[in-house]
Amino acid sequence: MAEAQTKAPVDAIELEIMRASLEGIVLEMQNSLFRTGYSTIVRESQDASCAIMNAKGEVVAQHVVLPLHIGSFPACCNAVLEAYAGDIQEGDAWLINHPYQGGSPHAPDMAVITPAFFDGELIGFCASIAHKSDIGGPVPGSCSGQAREVFNEGLHLPAVRYQRGYQRNLEIERIIAANSRTPELVLGDIRGQLGSARLGEERLLELTKKFGRARTLSYFARLLELAETRMRAAIATWNDGRYEAERFVDDDGIEAGKPVRIHVVVEKKGDNITFDFSGSADQTRGPANIRPPVIRGACSYCLIALADPNTFVNSGLMNAFNIVVREGSVMNPRFPAPVNTYNPTVHALVEALFAALTDIVPQKARADGCGSRSIILGGRSTNTGKGYVQYEILGGGAGARATKDGMSGSSINQSNAKIAPIEIIESEFATRVQRFELIPDSGGAGQFRGGLGIRREYINLADARFSIRSTKHVIAPNGLRGGGKGRTGDITINPGREDEKHLPTRYADYPLKGNDTFRLDTPGGGGLGDAAKRDPASVLRDIEEGYVTPERALSDYKVVLRQSDKGYDIDEAATAKLRGAN
Amino acid sequence: MGRFRVTVDTGGTFSDFVYVDEDSRAVTIAKVPSTPDDPSRAILAGVDLLIAKGVDPADIRYFCHGTTVGTNALLEGKGVRTGLIVTEGFRGIYEVQEQSRPHGAQIFDIFYDKPAMLVPQSRTGEAHERVSFEGEILIPLDEEKIRATLRQLKGKEIVSLAVCLLFSFLTPQHERRIREIALEEMPDCSVSLSSEIVPQIREYYRLSTTVINAYLQPILARYIDNLEGRLVGAGIVTPQKYIMQSNGGMSTFAATAKKAVATVLSGPAGGIVASMQACRTTPYNNLITFDMGGTSCDVALIKDGEPSIASRGKIDGRDIALPMIEINTVSAGGGTLARTDKFGTLEVGPQSAGAQPGPACYGRGGTQPTITDCNLALGYLGEDNFLGGQMKLDRSAAREAIDRHVAKPLGIDTETAAEGVVRIINVKMQEAIKAISTMRGHDLRDFMLLAFGGAGPLHAGAMAQALGMAGVIVPLYPGVYSAMGLVMSDVKHDYIRSRLTPLARLTEADINAVFTELAKDARSELQDEGFAMESIVLEASLDLRYAGQGYEVTLPCDLELATGGIARLRADFDARHKEMFGHTAPDEAVEIVSYRLRGVGRVPPVDLPKYQPQGVSLADALRETRQARFDGRLLDCPVYQRERLDVGISFDGPAVVDQLDCTTIVFPGQHAKVDEYRNIIITAKS
Repeated sequence: MAEAQTKAPVDAIELEIMRASLEGIVLEMQNSLFRTGYSTIVRESQDASCAIMNAKGEVVAQHVVLPLHIGSFPACCNAVLEAYAGDIQEGDAWLINHPYQGGSPHAPDMAVITPAFFDGELIGFCASIAHKSDIGGPVPGSCSGQAREVFNEGLHLPAVRYQRGYQRNLEIERIIAANSRTPELVLGDIRGQLGSARLGEERLLELTKKFGRARTLSYFARLLELAETRMRAAIATWNDGRYEAERFVDDDGIEAGKPVRIHVVVEKKGDNITFDFSGSADQTRGPANIRPPVIRGACSYCLIALADPNTFVNSGLMNAFNIVVREGSVMNPRFPAPVNTYNPTVHALVEALFAALTDIVPQKARADGCGSRSIILGGRSTNTGKGYVQYEILGGGAGARATKDGMSGSSINQSNAKIAPIEIIESEFATRVQRFELIPDSGGAGQFRGGLGIRREYINLADARFSIRSTKHVIAPNGLRGGGKGRTGDITINPGREDEKHLPTRYADYPLKGNDTFRLDTPGGGGLGDAAKRDPASVLRDIEEGYVTPERALSDYKVVLRQSDKGYDIDEAATAKLRGAN
Repeated sequence: MGRFRVTVDTGGTFSDFVYVDEDSRAVTIAKVPSTPDDPSRAILAGVDLLIAKGVDPADIRYFCHGTTVGTNALLEGKGVRTGLIVTEGFRGIYEVQEQSRPHGAQIFDIFYDKPAMLVPQSRTGEAHERVSFEGEILIPLDEEKIRATLRQLKGKEIVSLAVCLLFSFLTPQHERRIREIALEEMPDCSVSLSSEIVPQIREYYRLSTTVINAYLQPILARYIDNLEGRLVGAGIVTPQKYIMQSNGGMSTFAATAKKAVATVLSGPAGGIVASMQACRTTPYNNLITFDMGGTSCDVALIKDGEPSIASRGKIDGRDIALPMIEINTVSAGGGTLARTDKFGTLEVGPQSAGAQPGPACYGRGGTQPTITDCNLALGYLGEDNFLGGQMKLDRSAAREAIDRHVAKPLGIDTETAAEGVVRIINVKMQEAIKAISTMRGHDLRDFMLLAFGGAGPLHAGAMAQALGMAGVIVPLYPGVYSAMGLVMSDVKHDYIRSRLTPLARLTEADINAVFTELAKDARSELQDEGFAMESIVLEASLDLRYAGQGYEVTLPCDLELATGGIARLRADFDARHKEMFGHTAPDEAVEIVSYRLRGVGRVPPVDLPKYQPQGVSLADALRETRQARFDGRLLDCPVYQRERLDVGISFDGPAVVDQLDCTTIVFPGQHAKVDEYRNIIITAKS
């Protein structure tokens, strides 16, 4: 009895020491990866994340860079455990990037996993997932919007052993190199990932030595349990009920003009919550499909955002909810349905979840946002004859929030890439940026305005192959509580010229000629609340800042302006009259 | 009386002073309450303390100041009304910033906002012009248009203007012409050009740095002007008046007034400079500096006597692309709060009780337990000797706070709770130290932990033990260590020029030509500041990377490359890359991204005094014995008075050493000795 009493307290202190140590270790792994990664994608866009897992492959600690990966890590690790059961040794390392036989969202997201042994016993894994600039397939960057099977999406590695006894398998490296347009970058990044995992392994063993194996493992279990308990406690405070919402993706890249439905029914009772996606569209012929590990990551993202951004982030969270996905649907496609443009679907899913939960957690309501997109230009450098891939990830307007406007020109939701510097792009690639601005009136009108989308316009200085994976070029971001929609995005080749042409939302391998221009407009965020209730002073400020035009101030916000010597001021009487009339 | 050096480091609560008599090398210190509304009042008060001792103000030959005037104006959003000029079509650069959110909890926070723009779109104008990535003018500047734009900005009553055009680091003519026109239209306007503030590739970081400079420049200029007037009024006429910068070097008053942004992250720099001096006066060349105060803790790495330098940093989410000492900051200080929740978990930080209400033991209304309360409950701090006894600490209030919020909810006793909280905060700080050391392949066993700040020496001993470090150094005046660093710095100006070029396309002569140009600027600026040629040292380095890599490695190099120099650079780069990142690609092309030159104006060093043993015994330094808790055991601890600890004396832990503004703990298993500079050197008991 006395022992039981003294045990609990030691737990609380040591548990927190354990948690702080694990956080330090994953942060160190992450810093190492950002520093030693080779490609612009890892080092400048920072499209990579690290985790520590227990021996069952559950994430114990993750420094959150990319929230979706919390679902991917366990799926990748399970593939290793299944394929190599009984043959896992110290000094092993595995590669895996398979969306079906693992958990990568798509083939470019390559995981490197190493085991950690203590006194001859497997205690866990260290891993990272990092986006590769090119892993083969029909188009530079490996993400073809017109892919019909995963076989059109580059080289897929199921769990394969990359190291034994700390020695690299050079055959695998040669296979990868032979299948990539940018072999140095891909192998350089993989080696950086390996270094980061080994660093984590070393630190994890030090930690285990300090606490002893049994206590270390029981703290791992306790951390997972606490993440679940805390999340369930938050869920229990929400209103019970059945909530439903849907969102649409423009199309799947193959069947133009056919929106893809993402549907969710949320059943919430007590501290249980279930997300049923069965009502979503059948699996698509084009690459709009997503796999359950990604869905679990997306659901975790939403719950953390709504419950407490500072909660413990580990696999335990995923025990706090259930998902139902219908086989053969866009949320659980049958092999080998293509998946490479998964992100627009995930954004639609996240927005459907936020929409369904908006009445449960009204103080965290938010309108829809811009989604995310990447543009990829590929070719061969005229100087060196080497293949290059210019890869940029662009955000836009975020949705307006319960108490304030949405952010402009931002990555949103589960996406979080940095924008590539213009001066670097122009120095490295045969392109020149002609315009980088916010788009006036692109934010949805509302008491709180949606964030603005951005416009990037490029002139191409040499022939190149162009691909885009975007979203919301057809279906606009929704407003909330009476707020207006955000402006849709667009991709235009040679705007204003005779041969002007709009490309679809997702398009692969458009042959750009030297001197062609292209203009990417990204969507604005939806507005929240009645625009006629927006403070006229805020509308006036938006006009001064160029965010809203005077015409839209009148038509959307019902604010009557007078021209003054310094610009505009508000005709308050006329505004009141106009607003009163509505 | 001899010639004096006077330095002052202005903090939020106190302004710390160090006075060094250059002839006798006697050092004295003082703490004067800060005067945030006009920091120069506290500075004059501190100067008056010296003059009151009979020192002729004309004998103050050197004055150096660490200021937070710029930092505070930035943090509080109290800079001047600023305008911005960008290349036509590129208004998005500033507003989009990096586009991403910070990693960690903020990704999940749907209420997160990027830092507000210091210059809104309504005060941003566009210049019809364009320069290519090779520096070629594609579109000449439309002077008429820009004049009209500047007139509009004038109508918006700007007092400062930032100009940041694409590729201006290659071809600065357009920015310079815009300044000429701006000054014709607005003769009193302050103008900051990105091609002068930081002529470096990557437009957003250059723009952000330039805007921050423009936003703060008039404020710092006014402050320095006022301070100069007051100092001269007090009879301090020396031209050797300096301000500390983020790069660990000083700058003259006049140069600082033009480059305000260089002071913004200078807060921790003084302590690092003083630590570099410790490398010269102790046998230890490898240090981790550990500065723990009331709310945060700064750690930095010094290897072979030199700190790591970062090429950019952030303050409050805003980017500054200037060389600065690489510091890792964690939210851990004396005021950091501990709390439990309904699930039985204990969390320490990042919240802090701040100065108000402060720790429970201050008796100013704080009820939540802090690190200071735990240190008091454990017997590490005494009730009667805080701030030299000026402030009494309330031990029962500390215990009550710990009991109510930690011990009772967890079902443990007060001391166990206090010890647990301290262990947790120590682990967080240890992780910060690991982050800056093991990642680079350094072995902490080769490093000493140099502890300063109000709380550093309390925690350092336990942390060094846990990290397996070589030991701990506690300098003589840990509470004013930043001001101490201001006594012994040099003037340092950084010059940079970005020219992205494959190394293979360059000759040694090409590289030398760029450095020659930078060297000319550096020499003339330092000469203007009164440095003779023989006091000027130039340090060249290159930012290099493998072609297409996203990040550069700064590699020191000769100012003038000899024949074969490029081949050696290439080899050095491969080796350095291997050392830093563990891999190398000798077959890949290497590119130069930027040329860096640091101009150093050597200030004649002042050596800290060495002390002779005075024959004071350890027993004479003993003030009291009190009980303190170590690893679950309550032990009797001698409490020594630091000022009475004689040179050469040594003792074993457990022991407590008290001084005016700081307490040092020597833990069981540790041995302490006082060296001839009166540093306490703590190592493992052999």
